[in-house]
Amino acid sequence: MRKTPLWHGIVWYGVSIAILLVMLFPIYWMFMVSLKLPEEIFASPPVWFPSQPQFGNFAALFNDGDVWSLWNSLVIAGVSTVVAMVLGTLCAYAIVRFNTGGENLAIWILSQRMLPPIAIVFPIFLAYANLGLADSYFGLILLYTAFALPYVIWMMRGYLQDVPRDLEESAEVDGLSALGVLWKVAVPMARNGLIATAIFAFIFSWNEFLFALILTRTEVITFTVQISQYFGSQSTFWAKIGAMSVLGTLPVFIAVTMLQRYLVRGISMGAVKG
Amino acid sequence: MLRRLALAAALAALTAAGPALAEDDAAAKAVEAAKQYSGTTITVVAEAGLQALLDTQYSGPEWEKLTGIKVKVVELPFEEIYTKTILEHQAGTGGYDTLLVSPAWLADVVSNGAVEPLDPYIEKYGVKSEFDDVNPAFKDWMIYDGKTYGLVVDGDVLVTYYRKDLFDDAENKTAFKAKYGYDLAPPKSYKEFGDIACFLTEKYQPKLYGAGVINTGYTHFFFSERFRNHGGKFFDEATMKATVNSEAGLKALTEMVEQNKCMSPGIETWGFAENLSALNSGEIAMTISWPPLGRWTQGVNIDDKALSWVPATKVKDKIGYAVNPGGHPQLASGFLSAVSPDSKNKDAAYLYAQWMHSKAQSLKNVMRPVGLRDPYRLSHYDSPEYQALWPTAKDYLLVLKEGASQGLADISFIETFKYQDAMARAVNSAIGGEDPKVALDNMAAEWDQITEQVGVDKQREAYKVWAAKPSAYRQ
Amino acid sequence: MTDAVLTQTKLSSRSLKTGRRAIGWRFATPAIALILLIGLFPFFWSLAVSFQNITGSNRAGIWVGLANYERLLSDLRFWAAFGRTLLILAVALPLELIFGLLLALHFQADRPFKRLFVALLVLPAVVSPMVAGSMWRLMFDHKFGPINQIIAWVAGEPVVLLWVIKPYLAFWAIIITEVWQWTPFMFVLILAALANVDREQLEAAEIDGAGRFRVFFKIVLPAIMPVLAIALLIRGLDVFRIFDAVWQLTRGGPGNKTETLSIFMYIRGFQSFDTSYTAAAVVLVLFVLSVAVTLILKRLRIAR
Repeated sequence: MRKTPLWHGIVWYGVSIAILLVMLFPIYWMFMVSLKLPEEIFASPPVWFPSQPQFGNFAALFNDGDVWSLWNSLVIAGVSTVVAMVLGTLCAYAIVRFNTGGENLAIWILSQRMLPPIAIVFPIFLAYANLGLADSYFGLILLYTAFALPYVIWMMRGYLQDVPRDLEESAEVDGLSALGVLWKVAVPMARNGLIATAIFAFIFSWNEFLFALILTRTEVITFTVQISQYFGSQSTFWAKIGAMSVLGTLPVFIAVTMLQRYLVRGISMGAVKG
Repeated sequence: MLRRLALAAALAALTAAGPALAEDDAAAKAVEAAKQYSGTTITVVAEAGLQALLDTQYSGPEWEKLTGIKVKVVELPFEEIYTKTILEHQAGTGGYDTLLVSPAWLADVVSNGAVEPLDPYIEKYGVKSEFDDVNPAFKDWMIYDGKTYGLVVDGDVLVTYYRKDLFDDAENKTAFKAKYGYDLAPPKSYKEFGDIACFLTEKYQPKLYGAGVINTGYTHFFFSERFRNHGGKFFDEATMKATVNSEAGLKALTEMVEQNKCMSPGIETWGFAENLSALNSGEIAMTISWPPLGRWTQGVNIDDKALSWVPATKVKDKIGYAVNPGGHPQLASGFLSAVSPDSKNKDAAYLYAQWMHSKAQSLKNVMRPVGLRDPYRLSHYDSPEYQALWPTAKDYLLVLKEGASQGLADISFIETFKYQDAMARAVNSAIGGEDPKVALDNMAAEWDQITEQVGVDKQREAYKVWAAKPSAYRQ
Repeated sequence: MTDAVLTQTKLSSRSLKTGRRAIGWRFATPAIALILLIGLFPFFWSLAVSFQNITGSNRAGIWVGLANYERLLSDLRFWAAFGRTLLILAVALPLELIFGLLLALHFQADRPFKRLFVALLVLPAVVSPMVAGSMWRLMFDHKFGPINQIIAWVAGEPVVLLWVIKPYLAFWAIIITEVWQWTPFMFVLILAALANVDREQLEAAEIDGAGRFRVFFKIVLPAIMPVLAIALLIRGLDVFRIFDAVWQLTRGGPGNKTETLSIFMYIRGFQSFDTSYTAAAVVLVLFVLSVAVTLILKRLRIAR
């Protein structure tokens, strides 16, 4: 190991911590708002640390039944992720092993991710209205699955490519069907990539706002839509916004921290192998 | 003889048994009729934030206790109420039962088929005599094209609030008269409003500023009032070209922007909540806003947790009330309860609206600061209970009554929401620094575009109907 | 091998091939069908509707040909939104790139806890953009937000910056929120790309005594250029459809001074109910986007 002077290390950590403080400041503020008393939220000049951190704001969410929106988010994002993973992995495997659709299919699928949501939201809304799918779990799950698919397919393509062919071929010789090979050989080998992809796909669905805003009414409001309802015309319920934001972000934080290893690939969409 | 007396006594006893039994109590009738729907749920639209608290914390639970009908409240930000109501109707899912409609939008929701005609329900369940109790200024809110489509639940009229103590201060009075040549009193014109604001700011800043106003969101109400007080007209009836960028418009908008300079720093970011907080905490001496401020500055019924962010009032008993400068305040927004034609439980939805609109229940509603419902019935203004809420409540109610009777109605023709939206955006961009003339010219151009899309002749018809009302221009 | 067996093998290998192809398509079809349904149907619907004159109150439209497109081309508000969106792109993207690069260079060092730092720095990118917009809205608040407070500390005197009222400030508020949220994305990408730079080349350069700057510009930068290009493309497309954060910060206001393309279309479609007009805008935007993406992808191929 090259010997670097100690002060190099100190400076490096100093800079790193400074960067962290700046970048995480808004998130810190979000946490603080959720713990503040109402007078402190509306204090001018602003209060940086609540005098008596209190969980009353969170309790209010439970009492007023707002937490239900988190449950809706969980159901919708969860089910759509599972379905997308199943269909997407199948499709990715076909592209990788059976060269289905050649290069064009893969590129076309990637390009679908580029679609601006606003471009498709109105016809989808009208179609859903006619089919009675508005404000239903099924409707949103269908949509979110379709959104997640391009990402899942593109990612799993990369991970499945890394699975050594000979293992699969020997399994084929042993008489396993294609599905069997996928399930028993490829998937276990690509398991880490699978988990990472699933978690990132879940995060994107979990954070979605525009479609949930337009397609939910009263039954299946997600937590992002719930937060937008706290922006009243007369007053803004910052306490609830803070608390709900924390509740809506915590799962994501935990997932990302656990996924340190797969961060790069997951976020970069496999553009860089790492 | 004894028998006659006994009969009379019995009759007296019966009628004294309480208005709850009388046939002309719409609240009681609504509750009785609604009991047959016990166990069902109705979805009620409410304005997100403080407005909705009335339904979620008081009326909803009370209704459930009385009738067994569960009330689910859907909270929508003000800007979305109209659009979501139309969208919901387009989707036809029947997601909303009882609707909230601002009278200005009535023509549009009716032509979109998004509200149910209520006359049959009023026949069946209503008490016609209670309608005579509604302030005439608000009566025509409920009717379009001869049919009733909504029931008034909130009678809005803008009011001028001012610090009596500062206005009565002898030193202030002399200094003001010396500088401006007229007595320091609630402003009779918007020019006076500006003078007083600047005078008080100069003297007291930074502890206190002469005035505060609402500068974000639906600022079009304030412009609309000033515009008409300066003699402005919205359209040239012959050509249906928008005349909002006339001299009157320029004067009104420039005035608004200029007067901001004599107010608290950062006034351009103020919404309803900031304005109220400032008045309560003693930061401003004068403001123009909606009626709820009257109750809030007195600290009436502010024990609700949801209002804990409102600073405790430091100006109790110091606030005076006046009809807006110019004498014709805007009947800014207001609300009707209506019924969705897609509702699967129209009767229950209607009965909730009737109950909220009724004499007995509405009195309770308008006395609460939570819910922001304001008096609209003659019985509200004359109510001994209300007048007892605080020493000067009587004056307050009088100002509301008089203001409303001389008030200016919101514009209401076809696609009103689009016109209002264009107006609000023009005003907001002027407040944000754009040249008022440019903002108004752009607004006029946008208005002309909307008129063209609607159809010039069609809009002319609708406009003429509206302009014929006394509350349109008050001249 | 007998002829029969040979033919048999040939036949079976061919049927194996077609069998495999069939399996491949069977695996892929559900996913493709779903993507087609959600991706293609709206486009064709929008196309059809854009040639009619459907609005909220006039649901049965008649054919009006290119009327909506003509109106779109002369609609100043549309072009303002378009230009504004491009402007945001032109300012935010380079900033994200530069900051991401600087961060990546700094965190290249192999030190204890580095992974933790990186993981924490990723957080802004995984927060919901809607939440990010809401939080920054509060932070930019004149009375209740810390941003003006901090600036006042630095400047030494109270400062009145109305971030969501003054148009030029609102623009910067949006940029700051965007850059804050997505710099980590660039950072992570570049970090990984840096790790893949050829070790041997670097070491050779070091031995040759080349200075740090030369090494960076002559070896590192060209090596990570493909990744940078893809990153810029992905981010560019994302910024082009920006909605959530801007909606929370300004709703497109004041007036419509911060209206992005997506907000313009949202307002036209869901507040004004100008169905056909919005459809025309959608078609136009999609067309421009696909042309742009195709051209860019082509250039990337050529560069490689």
